[in-house]
This record gives sequence, structure tokens and C-alpha cells, in this order.
Amino acid sequence: MIHKTLLVDPAKCTGCRTCEMACSLRHEAKCSPLLSRTRVIKFEAKGLNFPTVCAHCSKPHCMTACTQGAIRVDEETGAVVINEALCSGCRACLTACPHGQVGFHPEKRVAFKCDLCGGDPNCARQCPTGAIKYSGVDQFLMARRRALLARSIEA
Amino acid sequence: MLYGWTGKRLRVDLSTGSVKVEEIDGTYREKWLGGRGFNSALLYREVGPDVEPLAPENKLIFGVGPLTGTFAPSSGRTTVTAKSPMGSPPGFGDSNMGGHWGPELKYAGYDQLVIQGKAAHPVYLWIEDGRVEIRDARHIWGKLVPEADAIIKEELGNADIHVAVIGPAGENLVRFACILNDVYRAAGRSGMGAVMGSKNLKAVAVRGTGAVSIARPDEFYSICAGIRERLRKDLMVQMLYDQGTWLLTMPANYEQGWFCWRNFQKGNHPDARLLSGENHRDNYLAHREGCFACPISCGRFSRIPGGRYAGETTGGPEYETLTAIGPRVGLLDPEAVIHNNKLVNELGMDSCSCGGAIAWAMECWEKGLLSGEDTGGLALNWGDQELVDKLIKMIARREGFGNILAEGSYRAAEHFGRGQDYTMTIKGHDMSQDDPRGLGFAFGIGFATGRRGGDHLQGLPCLELTGAFYPGLVKKILGTDEAEDRLSPVKKPEMERYQEDLKAVGDSLTQCTFTHSWSFAVQPEDMARLLSAAAGIDCDAEELLKTGGRIVHLERAYWNRLLVGRLEDKNPKRFTREPMPDGPNKGTVFPEDELIPRYYEVRGWDGETGFPLPEVLKDYDLGDIADELEIYRKKYLDKIKMSQS
Ligand code: SF4
Ligand code: SF4
Repeated sequence: MIHKTLLVDPAKCTGCRTCEMACSLRHEAKCSPLLSRTRVIKFEAKGLNFPTVCAHCSKPHCMTACTQGAIRVDEETGAVVINEALCSGCRACLTACPHGQVGFHPEKRVAFKCDLCGGDPNCARQCPTGAIKYSGVDQFLMARRRALLARSIEA
Repeated sequence: MLYGWTGKRLRVDLSTGSVKVEEIDGTYREKWLGGRGFNSALLYREVGPDVEPLAPENKLIFGVGPLTGTFAPSSGRTTVTAKSPMGSPPGFGDSNMGGHWGPELKYAGYDQLVIQGKAAHPVYLWIEDGRVEIRDARHIWGKLVPEADAIIKEELGNADIHVAVIGPAGENLVRFACILNDVYRAAGRSGMGAVMGSKNLKAVAVRGTGAVSIARPDEFYSICAGIRERLRKDLMVQMLYDQGTWLLTMPANYEQGWFCWRNFQKGNHPDARLLSGENHRDNYLAHREGCFACPISCGRFSRIPGGRYAGETTGGPEYETLTAIGPRVGLLDPEAVIHNNKLVNELGMDSCSCGGAIAWAMECWEKGLLSGEDTGGLALNWGDQELVDKLIKMIARREGFGNILAEGSYRAAEHFGRGQDYTMTIKGHDMSQDDPRGLGFAFGIGFATGRRGGDHLQGLPCLELTGAFYPGLVKKILGTDEAEDRLSPVKKPEMERYQEDLKAVGDSLTQCTFTHSWSFAVQPEDMARLLSAAAGIDCDAEELLKTGGRIVHLERAYWNRLLVGRLEDKNPKRFTREPMPDGPNKGTVFPEDELIPRYYEVRGWDGETGFPLPEVLKDYDLGDIADELEIYRKKYLDKIKMSQS
């Protein structure tokens, strides 16, 4: 089964953080960067912005680290998801993730992370520039290759 | 539980070190909305006519609104308000900045931050949620904006804080010093940076870990998503994304004739395309920048690839800046313009007033009104980039002739007793680079009567500029599409009034003006729906516009209390007496004598004094200031008599 996943192109990102707002509003009914699953790293003085998203790894470090069996892979979407009810709040997954993609909920006191919104991620849908895309990996790569070649054909 | 707003005001007194949190109650919230409305109301009440702008008694107010820090499109703006050191007499001042600082203040738990008093030595403020600390800034005093930003982030050990900071210009009380946040987003106009400097306050660093609660989250999400979809398809938005506000150069110069050339001597130049949006995009654009939650991303980040400034990078410039320190001083070289933009930003000055002061001096030099004796030996020739570079630095550091220009062109002319006719100022405040002889007549009304002197952002009445791109819109609002014509006087007072009220709402919610004026994708009805769903109230467009009108009237009353009214509602003479010498609007002057009285009528302001009439104030729920204003109106009548004798 080929799953779609979140793929980013920092060159397109304007650093507007719309993605953070869409995510937190949808998941938490509030607007707050700290409650967003996706986060944007800004280097204001250099004018550089990097959206960061969960890779939904094939061998998820977060899942391996979890001793409670609270993390599993959703078969339908391929999303690596946390079951809040089983999470003990030990934060093992936070430190295990090489991309820093697991957050800790300040009120619920459990780990939280991207769940791909059940297959239609709001960050990608609302990103005004296409810097975050929800796409099949092959489709994303082919589009990149094509864009690259198109440039050299024009030149 | 409170939705949308936080309902809290943070008040810091730098003289005593006291920190207080005050409630902003429901009546007050609905009466003044937030952001600009909150600030103007507080300034009116707490900073009276006798307060000197650079004295500790002045208050520096940062305000955000019920939509700030939410998913609402382009909702992250902040208004900074204080009595301005720029005007003559010093009067109302405010300035609006983008970036990400405002949302951070909201997440820290505040709708408003009021700073009063004066610290004994340079300090900065560190707000981390409920914890507020006044920290020593002696080691940062004198630093450029990017340096100060970096040092503060470093010493607080947090790269994700947002810092509003002044540069050397603010420290040196340059009257048009600005405040910048996120390094390159300025609250530029009316000298808010000088007020900050006068308080010995170098910066305000904020970190908030809270959230903005939304009353009806599903409804709010779908309203926002719907508006975002509309913005994505909007031609004006697409153009702003593509070229930023640089896109204005081509139409302003070649079609509409309001490209500010040499202190407004004329409105076009054959080589203006050097500063076109295409040229910038193709050769100098490193990156597009978005303010918080903004799908437009008109912001630019520029890089100079070669030449004398090779490798320099800077946030911006946008149109007003690129024209202020470009064609206004006789320069059309994009590299010079980008470099000058970097300078004024890093030193912390309003580009418009800085360019205005230099352009005034250059025109005086050209006309023989200033000589080497006045300038300390400098020759002030149009378009001399080496000189402009030097003057910008001299102004920020108040060195030599720069010390005089740092007072703004109005006071510089007073100082020399010469060149008054070439100060392009209104109420003592330098014009932005917008010429009503080409840009449009509704704009001209806003310049003359606006709350902070010569400035296009009183109403930003784009209905006469881009309104025609939205079929039926101008007719729907004003009853005739004749008003689509920039240089027709038809319905222009009504247009300006409508746009001023709308803008006051946007600035208070807060939502960027480009979403509802320039692009008209967001309509007042949308703003009402956004506010209702976010805050869990029930308001409609009509109420909102009424609130906008209330804010405009209060700001007007602020000036009136300083005995400023009809006599001072005047464009620079050049716009009303000198016909445009050539180009597409050759022969045009701004018909001020016809339009200002009509605007007063439309506003319900007294034709003789330009003061709001008592019954109009009552209608806007401002009855409590009517009696006070009546006293000032009588005094103003005496002033008019004196001016006639
Ligand atoms: S949270 Fe980290 S480790 Fe877990 S799936 Fe996402 S990127 Fe991989
Ligand atoms: S919404 Fe898109 S452009 Fe904006 S910050 Fe997120 S990834 Fe970047």
C-alpha cells in the first residue's frame, strides 16, 4: 500500500505559520503554536523559514521508545499515532524522535503528535504557498525532477 | 472563560519598576474592539494636551485585538500608540506593524501593554507569560537592530522569543525613529521609536506559551478557510505575492503619474522601470516573507548579488520605503535603494520621514536656500548615493547637519527660517510618497485630515485605485461607479469616510488592511463573522463600522483638544497650488477647497472649525467628551479669528 505523507519545500515557505494555526485549531479548538503538531523554525535576520513536520517514519523511533504500547501505525493512512489513553506521559518518545516532532500537552500531560488529520492534513490544505504538501513520495519526487529539468530546458 | 480577547492589560512603570495587570471589561472591549481602538481610547484618557511627547508622562502603548494570534487570515498585527514627537504641535501618533510579535503578546496573556515613566538607565523588558522583568540594557545600548535582537535572544537563551526593539536613532531621540520587531518589521510612522528611547527602553522581548480560545471553533475554522480560499483566487493577492508592493512602480509612474520624483516635483520619470516589481523579483528577491497567519506574503527579503553592495541582505523594502530613499531623493538604482533600506532599518528610522527630510534639504540646495555654511560643507545634490548613505548615518547619530534633519523637515525649515514651502508635511509630519494629484482624491482627503499627518494609511481608500477590479463593488458601496475614477471628485468624501471606518476596524481586530482594502476579498460582513465566531458574540457589519467611526472620531478629538482643526487640515501647497507639470495627469491639482468642506459635512463635523458636532459625538456613544470638546471649540474659534486679523 502506497501511503501519502507530508513533504516540505522550505524554499517556498514564507514563515507565516498558518500551518500552526490550522493544526492547533483543528486538534485543540484553540489557536496556539505550542498546541500545533507542525512547527515552523524562523531565522528572522536571515529571512529563512523552515516548516518541520513528522516524517511518519517506516521504523518510528518514537514507537520503539514507547514502553506503554501507546504508539501505533494507522493502517489506512500510514500515520504514526499516539493513543492518549495509554500514554503515561514519560516523554520517552519526545527525546527519541530524531526530528523533534513529538510535543507534550501542557494540560493533558500526555505526548501528542501529528496524526495526518485522518488522511487530509489541515497544514498542507491551508499552507498558502505549497511549502507543505501531502503527497505520495514518488509523485513529489517526480514533480521535483520535472521542475529541475524544465529549468534547464528553458535555460 | 474569555474567547478571542485575553481581557488583560499589562502596565509597566519604568520610573518605579511597578508592574500591574488590569482587567479590560466587556463594555470596554465592545466599545473599542482592541489594537488601535484600545490604544487610542487609552491615549485620549491618560495622555492629555499638556504632556510633552518625550517626557516620562507620555505613554507608549502596544495593542493587539481579538483576532490577533488566531487562524484568521493576516491577523497578527500590532498597533503602537503614543503622543507623537513628529507633529507640530506634537499630537496623535500611532503606527502599525506586522511580524509575529503581537501574537506572542497575546499568547503571553495580554491584549495591551502600557509603558509609562522613564527608567534610570537603559533597560529592556522581558515578558514571559505572567512573569515580567525589567533588565539592564546598558550593554545593548547603541547596538543596531539586528545585533540587539541577537544579543537578547542569546542571553535569554531562547531563539523563539519575539523582540520589539529600537536602534541608535531611537536612543538618540531622532523624531522619526521607529520600532522594529522580528528584525525587519517596522512600526515606522510618527516617531514611536523616539518615545521608546525617551523612556530608556531598548526593547520588549516576549514569549507566550498560552493560547487564544475560540468560542465556536468549527464555525471559525470554516469561515477562515473560506476567506483563505477567496484570497488565494484574488488577482490583487496574487500580484502582491508575486511582486510585493514593488508592483506599484509601473502603474504609479507610467499610467497614473504619482511616482514621487525629487520631493514631489513631478509624478513620473522615464527610467522608473529600474524599480519595477519584475526587476526586483528577477534580480534581487531572495525570499518572500509572510506576517503571522498571512496568505498574501507581500513581504520581501532582498539580496544584492553584485556591485558595490554585493552580498548585502535585508528584509524589505516595500514601496513606500523604496520610493522614500529612492526617487524622492533622486535615485533610481535598485541596489542603492535596497542598501539604504537596510541602513534605515538597522539604525531604526522611519524611511518616509528620513527620505522626506533629505529630499527637502536637497530641494533647498537646488533652489539656493541652503548653502555649504548650513550643511557643514556638504553639497546636497539630487541622486548622490554616497551623500544619501552618509546623511542617513549622520541623522541616526545626530551628527552635524544630520542633527538638524533628525528633527524632521518641518522643524529643520523652522530652524533655518527658510524652505518652508518645500517641506512636504501635514501637521508637521512628513508625507509618505503619495501624491494626490495622481493617486486619487479620496487619498488627498485622508492626507489633509488624517490622524497622524501626511500619510496614506488614514483610510487607504483603494476603492478608487483597485476597486474597479471588483465589478459592482464601488457602486454597491457608494451608489455610483463614477467614484472608481481616481481623479473624479464624485463621492470621494463618502468613500474616504467608509474606508477610514473600515480601516479602524481592521487595525483594531487586528487584520491587515491589504485583505479588505487593496484586495477587497474580505468584506465588513466577513470581519463581523470572524469576530462573532472567535469571541462568541453576535455582531454585524454595521455595528463594526460604527465602532470604526467611533475610533476615528476620538482620534480627531485628540487633535481638536490641541487646537488643531480646519486651519491645519491642509495638504502641502505643492499638491493644491502647483499643477502636475507633465505625465499622464499633467495639469492636475488636488481640489482641496471643494472636497474638505464636503468631507466635514459627510462626517458631521462643524464646517467652521472641523470639530465633530456634539450630536454626532453622542450618536457614536462619545457623549462623555462632548462638553470638554465644546470648550476647546470655543478656544479654536478665537484661534481662527486671530489668524484672520
Ligand atoms: S514523531 Fe519522530 S520518530 Fe515518530 S514517526 Fe514522527 S518523525 Fe518519526
Ligand atoms: S503555512 Fe506554509 S508557508 Fe506558511 S509557515 Fe507553514 S509551511 Fe510555511
